[in-house]
Amino acid sequence: MSTLRVVWYSIVNGANDYWSIFTLKSWVFGWLIRVVSQVTFFALIGKLLQKQAQTDFLLIGNAVMVAGMGATFALHQPTNERGNGTLPLLLASPSRPVVVMLARGLYVVADAIWSALLGLAIVGPAFGLHFPWPRVLLVIPLTVLVGAAAYCFSTFLAGVIIAHRNINNLVVNTTIVLLMALCGVNVPVSFFPTWLEWISRCLPITDGLEAIRGVLAGDAWSSIAAHVGGELLSASGWLALALLTFGRFIRAGQRDGSLEFAS
Amino acid sequence: MRAFLAGARVQLRFMTAYPDSLIPFFTSPLFTIVFLLVFKHAGRPDLTAYAAIAPVFIALWWLALFNSGWTVTMERWNGTLEMLVASPSSFGAVIFGRIAATTAIGTVSFFEAWLVARLIFGTTVTIHHWGAFLLTVVATLAAMAGTAVGMAALFVLARNAVTFSNSASYPFYVLGGILVPVSLLPHWVRPLSDVVFLSWAADLLRATLRVGPIHQFWPHLGMVVLLGACGYAVGLFALRVILVRVRESGELSTT
Amino acid sequence: MEAGAAVDVRELRRVFTPRKREPVVALDGVSLTIPAGEVHGMLGPNGAGKTTLVKILSTVLLPTSGTAQVLGHDVVEETRAVRPLIGIVFGGERGLYTRLSARQNLEYWGALYRLPSATIKERSAALLERVGLTERADQRAEEFSRGMKQRLHLARGLMGDAKVLFLDEPTTGMDPLAAREFRRLIAELKGEGRTILLTTHDMVEAESVCDRVTLIDRGRLLATETPRTLGRLISRFQRIDVTGADEALLAEVTALPGVSSATRQADGSTRIEVSEEGATAVVLRRLVDGGVTDLQTSLPSLEEVYVQTIGERGLGV
Repeated sequence: MSTLRVVWYSIVNGANDYWSIFTLKSWVFGWLIRVVSQVTFFALIGKLLQKQAQTDFLLIGNAVMVAGMGATFALHQPTNERGNGTLPLLLASPSRPVVVMLARGLYVVADAIWSALLGLAIVGPAFGLHFPWPRVLLVIPLTVLVGAAAYCFSTFLAGVIIAHRNINNLVVNTTIVLLMALCGVNVPVSFFPTWLEWISRCLPITDGLEAIRGVLAGDAWSSIAAHVGGELLSASGWLALALLTFGRFIRAGQRDGSLEFAS
Repeated sequence: MRAFLAGARVQLRFMTAYPDSLIPFFTSPLFTIVFLLVFKHAGRPDLTAYAAIAPVFIALWWLALFNSGWTVTMERWNGTLEMLVASPSSFGAVIFGRIAATTAIGTVSFFEAWLVARLIFGTTVTIHHWGAFLLTVVATLAAMAGTAVGMAALFVLARNAVTFSNSASYPFYVLGGILVPVSLLPHWVRPLSDVVFLSWAADLLRATLRVGPIHQFWPHLGMVVLLGACGYAVGLFALRVILVRVRESGELSTT
Repeated sequence: MEAGAAVDVRELRRVFTPRKREPVVALDGVSLTIPAGEVHGMLGPNGAGKTTLVKILSTVLLPTSGTAQVLGHDVVEETRAVRPLIGIVFGGERGLYTRLSARQNLEYWGALYRLPSATIKERSAALLERVGLTERADQRAEEFSRGMKQRLHLARGLMGDAKVLFLDEPTTGMDPLAAREFRRLIAELKGEGRTILLTTHDMVEAESVCDRVTLIDRGRLLATETPRTLGRLISRFQRIDVTGADEALLAEVTALPGVSSATRQADGSTRIEVSEEGATAVVLRRLVDGGVTDLQTSLPSLEEVYVQTIGERGLGV
């Protein structure tokens, strides 16, 4: 029961942090405009190529990618903790750091998912994307799944680099573009050589995105279900890895002194 | 001049000392890969030039927003702004030197794009109009530096600088037509694109990588220079305001 | 302007008008002259106006009214002439480029002070040697201790071979050994004929290193004295906290000449305040003779000294 309480308070904590940065105005005129522009930027390539199918592909991919992108921002969590000076307090507490980290970043992930859906809803119609009703509603839980999978992945990465605050921002930015390149966001993974396709399927987003595309294209339910299964597998795999290794990375950092607490 | 060079030299040292500065050099090759993949998948090898140029603009703009733009603000947070003001060297010259160095380093991304195209995709990015290319590059870099000076000054004076800079990437990539030319954008957006120097610069660079004559080279180049100069002028004016704020009202004091 | 004066301040006034708040008078008609080669201390509590004065003299801030000259040049009209002649050393953690090495920090400022390249190299090496940082010269400043950072600040302030140095609370947060070492450096600099204006809120520091000390509070100069005078001031207002003395003994001691009051404290001790030089010794002797062993003497805080001195309308010694 106390774990749930830890989770709840961590969520509230994270939410407060978030809203201290954003007001509604700055969220809309700052963040949302960026999201819309980002999706538009890639969707326009379809116009350049003069193929509606391409436009649809790029649009859906990059809208869903926003969820993945926001989830990757969770990599900033440990650094923020260290900057606030609260990391040592967290480590000294009875709660598992990875649980608290996971919960604290939930608000960011929720925001990312919401932004992705908004991006799709706003930019889609502008580029002639067709939303089959009521199937399109499935896109919502599927985007949540993609966001969650990406979040588990980035939490694992956060553990890996926890002792290296210096390169945090570098890893976040590089990871985002790497995911854009590898997860079937802009080109189908079937276009890759087999070995690369395997890597892509291990990463989050890939299968979930294919499921979403399948829903919007009216694909068979069996194929969509297979992709959903793939994404669930990916998410649970990364989550398990994160839960197993986070503590280990922290202890390693404490042992060799690389996890210095002074910011 | 010495102040300019002192600024440039110290900036190069900063770039090696702060890993964040290297972000564009990691993401540029990845963006190149993304764009080349799309065009390869679509069977459009003729668009290779587009794929090579866009990452360069992304890198340069990123450096302007997240590196150069924060020059003065970082001095302030570091506690060195007032020391800089009290030194015998020109404040503006030092800042400009630092920004110029950052901008110049940004050109590495072009080589990265070229290499990625060559090594991973086996395509070559060929420059068909060397003279025009070099002129455009110089003008673009100058305009980028000028705009960055404007950003550096405005970010100190504006309250929402952080939020703005985080969101000012993709909107400008779209308006600037850095991948997809602005001619493909709806009409009502064009006036906005016209005042963003990126759109003129991107069009020109693409033209230099294409076979065939370049239309209206000089007027377009002129627009790049003009808009960049505007950014620079705004920056100089704002830097002066900053100096006033430091010395007269004491507003930007950090102690 | 007095001949030989390194710093000449006349009726300097500085008012700050922050947004949506009352105007703050940081300096209220301050006049001060510092002859060349003097180490001058500026002693006052936080918010007294010390830093504001330093900022005006170092051309960082403009005064609201009044004039200030450094080495014969007006800080407002002849800013460009003043800047190459001065060095600023702020206290605290900030003011260094932490990711650069000590040497790189010095070289950068050397360039900004328009020194030729050869001079920059020479001087930075010499200064690092002087402040004892040669071994750490190529280490990043972020790895330095507080004391080391402060020494680097001093080296930085000297890169321009400043004739007049402004040190703003340079030993804040330093451990006693490091602070002592720092003061030795200051004495050395004085020996080279440099003029130094040092701000502090530490009376002991002001006493130990300065030729003269100015007391400042709430933007006004209270007085300018030599440290010896200050020392006498301090000891004049010494107090003794006594525990375990009976009423009769206390009454006797209170009646002694030079004792100004005896007040019961919350913890049961009695605080005996003294207002004359030499009275402390007499009081202590009487108390010890009376069998009291639980005694503590202390010095008054700066504010208490001010209150006493303003109450007596200035400092008469």
